[in-house]
Amino acid sequence: MAQTNLLSPPSTISPPTALQLSQKAPRIIANPPTSSLPWPLSLLFSAETPEAWVTHENALYACLRTHDDAAARQLLDRLSARFGESNERIITLRGIYEEATAKNNGELEVVFKKYEDILKQDPTNFGVRKRRVAVLKSLGRTSDAITALTMLVESSPTDLEAWAELGEMYAKVGEWARAIWCAEEVLLVMPNSWSAHAHLATLHYLSTQSSPHLAPLNLSLKNFARSIELNDSYLRGYYGLKLVCQKLIPLLSESSSVSKRNQDEDGPPPNLETVKKLEELATSKLAEIVRRYQPGTKEWQGYDGAEVIAARELLNRDANTER
Amino acid sequence: MTLLQTAPKKQTLAQIRQQRSLVRGINLRTNANTLSPSSFQARKAYMVSAYQEGKFLADPEGRGKPRPNPMSDPAAMEGMMGMMKGNMAMMVPQTLIMGWINAFFSGFVIMKLPFPLTPQFKSMLQSGVGTRDLDVRWVSSLSWYFLTLFGLQPVYNFILGSNNAANQVTQQMGQVNPGAGLMGPEQDPDKLFLNEAENLEVLEHRWILDGVEDRLLARTAG
Repeated sequence: MAQTNLLSPPSTISPPTALQLSQKAPRIIANPPTSSLPWPLSLLFSAETPEAWVTHENALYACLRTHDDAAARQLLDRLSARFGESNERIITLRGIYEEATAKNNGELEVVFKKYEDILKQDPTNFGVRKRRVAVLKSLGRTSDAITALTMLVESSPTDLEAWAELGEMYAKVGEWARAIWCAEEVLLVMPNSWSAHAHLATLHYLSTQSSPHLAPLNLSLKNFARSIELNDSYLRGYYGLKLVCQKLIPLLSESSSVSKRNQDEDGPPPNLETVKKLEELATSKLAEIVRRYQPGTKEWQGYDGAEVIAARELLNRDANTER
Repeated sequence: MTLLQTAPKKQTLAQIRQQRSLVRGINLRTNANTLSPSSFQARKAYMVSAYQEGKFLADPEGRGKPRPNPMSDPAAMEGMMGMMKGNMAMMVPQTLIMGWINAFFSGFVIMKLPFPLTPQFKSMLQSGVGTRDLDVRWVSSLSWYFLTLFGLQPVYNFILGSNNAANQVTQQMGQVNPGAGLMGPEQDPDKLFLNEAENLEVLEHRWILDGVEDRLLARTAG
């Protein structure tokens, strides 16, 4: 994983790092990037860079996550002093601040009303539209959130975030076909993203979890394989590949004569030999990752600890059933 | 200072939708090979019919009508005025400065370049000096003014901020708006949509995931 600092996007930051980042806030507050000198001199002495403001914004997120509301307020005030109260980003940031400091659902409703008013004046403020969805989500109104999101992707159909979020929501309520559609939409914008492929594969896999069918499992297998092809040290890809193969092997061996019949338009079902080989590959790779992660070899530390533990569990379960 | 700066023009929601829907179609066309055949067919059918019906148009009533004359369209007029304003803000001071330099310093030779040059540079470096036999390395004041004029952009940016009006010309040449090349004011969005629908229709779909298992096995084996 890349080094986390205040310039990277906030979604990839784990809770301990967020705490660490928010502890840097006092230092940021103490050093304003704009100079207090009058105009011609301020040009020469200001240390204002675009990075400074990105740092401010990310520090603001980190502070809100760690409940350092006072520091967050100061950062927000400084941002709005620099960019103006009516700047779209600032409106969104203020909304985030108000959401984070809202103590109960009643206060969240107030924030929600405010968003509605802003959107009535300027329906093109996509930041606020997304925040509105987020409020609906935290109020637990999932179906309203889904409606709002469909409106959002309707008017901005290339918005990756919105499609991904809509996919999540559909997956949550169990509408697999729609969730898959959304995941494919994400893939169309980022065709080489291995995580998007793995996500799509996961959705295909989950959609058929209760009663295994060949076609979705086949798609799932292909997508997991593709995600590994794009990134051959992708733990989730191997993990998923192994799970899918475990489901596919009994299905293929019992219906080997039937498989000719239900040929579907997305290509023939995979061959049993190939699936077995793929499972071996996934198992050996997972075992390698688990083995190398433990002694703390530096190049193998990029994995998420929880994911490695899950992989080890899977391998152990596998070993137990074989015995 | 703020008077000289021009804010980017706001688009309406319908225009954003129109433009991004077109981009979505282009995305579908360029990245179609990541989709399975069945979902690609479903998408293609949807997009093509929506494009042909003009579902994403910002102005569905104006479909098929010719473009209005830009001179009578107030929105286009405003854009042109903005351009004029930007140009004037740059032209006026420069005309003044040039006139001043021409009046006071014409004929002055102010520097000598430290390297030799071929005679072709004479017209570039010695404007305002009528001496035929003067070495090309001598630079006249007027030429020096022109040279610095085009080299002073970073200085302007430093003093006026990077979005200043004196900078407008370069910006207009490099075109700021990402969608502008795609859907300029002179292009009919309906035509673009129909064109894209046709492109999608004739697209030959090849699934990149076909045989990915064998590729993967072959790679790890080899």
